[in-house]
Amino acid sequence: MLVSGLAVLVVLGAAVHLTQGTAGLGAGDLLRMVTGRGTGATAAVVFESRLPRLLAAVVVGVALGAAGAVLQSVSRNVMASPDTLAVDAGAHLAIVAVAAFGVSLPLLGSAGIAFAGGLAAAAVVLALSGRGGTGVVRLVLAGTAIALAMISVTRMLLLLFAQETQGLYAWGSGQLGQNGLDGIRTLGPVVAVALVLVLVLSRRLDLVYLGDDHARSLGVRVGRVRLVSVVLAVLMAAAAVTLAGPVGFVGLAAPALVRLTAAVVPGLHRHAALVPVSAAVGVVLLLGADIALRALIGAQGALEVPTGVVTTLLGAVFLMLLARGVRVSASVAEPPAAGPRGGVTSRRFRVVLGVLLATTVGVVVGAVLLGDTTLLLGDVLNWVSGRAGPIVTSVMDNRLPRVVAAVLAGAALGIAGALIQAVARNPLAEPGIVGVVGGAGLGAVTGITLVPGISFWTQTGFAGIGAVVATAVVFALAARGGFAGERLVLIGFAVQAAAQALTTLLITLTDPWNETKALTWLGGSTYGRSFAHLVPMALVVLLVVPVLVRARGELDLLSLDDESPRVLGVAVGRSRLAVLVCAVLLTAAAVAGVGVIAFVGLIAPHAARTLVGRRHARVLPVAALLGALLVALADTVGRTVIAPSQLPAGLMTACVGVPYFVWLLHRTRAR
Amino acid sequence: MRLTRALIGLSAAAALFAAGCGTTEDTGNQAAAGGGDPITVVDSRGKAVTLPDGPAKRVAATEWNGVENLVSLGVMPVGVSDIEGYGTWVSAAPLDGTPKDLGTRGEPSIDTLGALDLDLVVVTDSLTEGALEQIEARVPVIVLAGGDAKDPIGAMFTNLDIIAKATGTEDRAAQLRTEFDQKLTEGKSAVDAAGATGEKVAFSDAYVSSGTISIRPFTTGSLVSAVFERLGLQNAWTMEGDPVYGLAQADVEGLTQLPDVRFWYESNGSEGDPYADELAANAIWTNLPFVRSGKVHRFPDKLWMFGGPKSMMQYVDAAVAALQK
Repeated sequence: MLVSGLAVLVVLGAAVHLTQGTAGLGAGDLLRMVTGRGTGATAAVVFESRLPRLLAAVVVGVALGAAGAVLQSVSRNVMASPDTLAVDAGAHLAIVAVAAFGVSLPLLGSAGIAFAGGLAAAAVVLALSGRGGTGVVRLVLAGTAIALAMISVTRMLLLLFAQETQGLYAWGSGQLGQNGLDGIRTLGPVVAVALVLVLVLSRRLDLVYLGDDHARSLGVRVGRVRLVSVVLAVLMAAAAVTLAGPVGFVGLAAPALVRLTAAVVPGLHRHAALVPVSAAVGVVLLLGADIALRALIGAQGALEVPTGVVTTLLGAVFLMLLARGVRVSASVAEPPAAGPRGGVTSRRFRVVLGVLLATTVGVVVGAVLLGDTTLLLGDVLNWVSGRAGPIVTSVMDNRLPRVVAAVLAGAALGIAGALIQAVARNPLAEPGIVGVVGGAGLGAVTGITLVPGISFWTQTGFAGIGAVVATAVVFALAARGGFAGERLVLIGFAVQAAAQALTTLLITLTDPWNETKALTWLGGSTYGRSFAHLVPMALVVLLVVPVLVRARGELDLLSLDDESPRVLGVAVGRSRLAVLVCAVLLTAAAVAGVGVIAFVGLIAPHAARTLVGRRHARVLPVAALLGALLVALADTVGRTVIAPSQLPAGLMTACVGVPYFVWLLHRTRAR
Repeated sequence: MRLTRALIGLSAAAALFAAGCGTTEDTGNQAAAGGGDPITVVDSRGKAVTLPDGPAKRVAATEWNGVENLVSLGVMPVGVSDIEGYGTWVSAAPLDGTPKDLGTRGEPSIDTLGALDLDLVVVTDSLTEGALEQIEARVPVIVLAGGDAKDPIGAMFTNLDIIAKATGTEDRAAQLRTEFDQKLTEGKSAVDAAGATGEKVAFSDAYVSSGTISIRPFTTGSLVSAVFERLGLQNAWTMEGDPVYGLAQADVEGLTQLPDVRFWYESNGSEGDPYADELAANAIWTNLPFVRSGKVHRFPDKLWMFGGPKSMMQYVDAAVAALQK
């Protein structure tokens, strides 16, 4: 039943898909061709454009669906997929890096390079998240963070080596269009062979899925089966990436859907059935997305919208629904701090605070002196006393707001991160991963698009609305069962992905030639900030800090568990809401000020806890200082290294943040 | 151990501090610049920009159309964005090697702009808001429109005239306009002589991404197309372009919508030739009427599609040459 239903869907979808396109070629022409009365031109369009596109959808759908199914079984984790294992991002990074450094790898070809990159990324993510099985959130967080980091490094390489990497920029979004059948002829067989090998392994995969000990007792070499399956899955995913670019979420949604139906369809849980059916569902999803896109905005308009954006949107919605049903443990999934120090002496706290303050002042001074034009302290003194020459005055007038913007945004994100981590009770949660940053960015871009010549305050308002909507969605969906941390993070991740896809969509549809806009709203930059832009951030920080000083005790209780604060008479729901509102305000103001900056809200609070223990009275100021330090440093480096051109601060924080995050994941792995 | 480390740290900090002292520039105000009477220019924002010391001598430009206009008016800019890219894409008005690089066109370095002791900065409306205000706080800034699909040639000359007025080179601008009109007249008669008047032309450029060819048609609103129309040629593209540059998007199978037209394209040597390299074996491409009849023609490299009169005169020459092939 199910199989025949899927087959009908695929055939129908394929037929409709073939009739869509920019050439004036409809169902009638196709029929005539099939019955042998078509013209040569019709055949050309079908064989060089329509059929390759259809086959690309089939190959990519099969590859992603099957790869996702295998990865989920091997890790015993419904969230495993080429996206969450950073295979896409790794493959793209590898291709760009090879082009940038001019390395020639004649034997491998671009498919081989993509495969190596994807495999490396998947290996890192799997190693960091542990193969233990149920660490759903760990996997998603590790994968997302690694992917984010790799995307940042990729963008940086593209900026640094613009000449060598020309043409690779657009590769970042999945598109099915093909130039003839060459790509499919090369990669189709790769996918087919990998799929057959997976099917050969299917019986052993059944056993591994049941449990390591069980499988071992039946004579299965668990380690080897796992390794081979992961390599095969990554091979398929890398082939898909090379063929069409990263097509989001198909590898996650297709097998997850099949697993859901496996409860009612007997026999579907066996891999011999599960993998092919997942592959078929992958094809149906991808074809469906592509058909829907063309049906909605026409074949001409569809040229501007990558199919990958559509599947990401669909997949994100699906992921939200899926996350609602994920079983979560009532106990705290992870300790609130990776290296928890119950408390440190107040002397130590004061020393840490003092050192940090001094370092921050040092970095700020350095940030003021360094840049495209290097200044010396005497210049600054002259400027302060109003005696500086025109060059120094001009540089200072423009540089100082940027430095202050970086410091304020960093502090705001540091505090926001600490608050969200306290509420979500997860040291890996952060405003970026939980969807607030994405919502704010989407809001700001919507504002810029809808209101021509928008004022900065209105734009900030839009960013605020975006952040509030995103947070409301995340927390409303996660509300069932009292904001369990894991579910919150999963839904946040989905909202973040959807917001980014929508931002890309808005920019490509309304302003496709404006790369700067895309970079600011997907990368984060202090370029062109003046003191007027800093007012909202400063206001919000001034507004929130007193609230937090009062609420510090409640924060400590909230970050423990649900029961303790209740016992002690704290209204859990209301305090949580208040804390969240603070976090959202801070994030929205920071995003409106400097664009989307990642990783700060994750690292700053975590490092703060490691330094001064868990008490929020101490964590918050230290997190704020660390955040300010990090962004100011990133901004200074970005302004200096390739002057007179510059790297956005958001990309720099990601690069500074990645090593720390990897270390953090590695340390928490044992638990 | 701790003490040693602290000492090392402190001395390092002290050394850094000592190194950071001093100044890069003497105190005191700039010498009062001499010059002529103030000039006021109304730019594309409708804002009246006043140059207090008369015609601007030291000028920087952040977009290449501004750079080209300046050079062709005889004013060599002192600051130019992405000089390497300008050299790759624009050949109508070469730089003489003296301008300083400002960084990218989207985010020109405000530090460098501040250090150049400028009389005027020429930008376009795609500059990040905020940066404009910062530059304007020091130096008069003229904002040019990126283009206008309703009247591309008019917009081009408006930009030229704004710059000419600000730099006191109106005579040269008038001369350029005469040269341009003359070139169009010559071109038109050459087109007529070739018997091509009224013929349809599809002009585009293309780029490759992950094996796919993306084509960028220059629709009727684009500057290049407007120039071709003045030569008596018609635009073959049917889709609607964006309101600024008149650009649209197409894929290879979309080309089947075109009848037997003249298919001209720009392709820069550094990026390969997508049409010739990637599509040679594509049956759609080889079956297209204009490919079969050999009406495909690659224009010379380094003709800037969004440039000024000089670039457009190059396009007139290139079009005439393509017809006589």
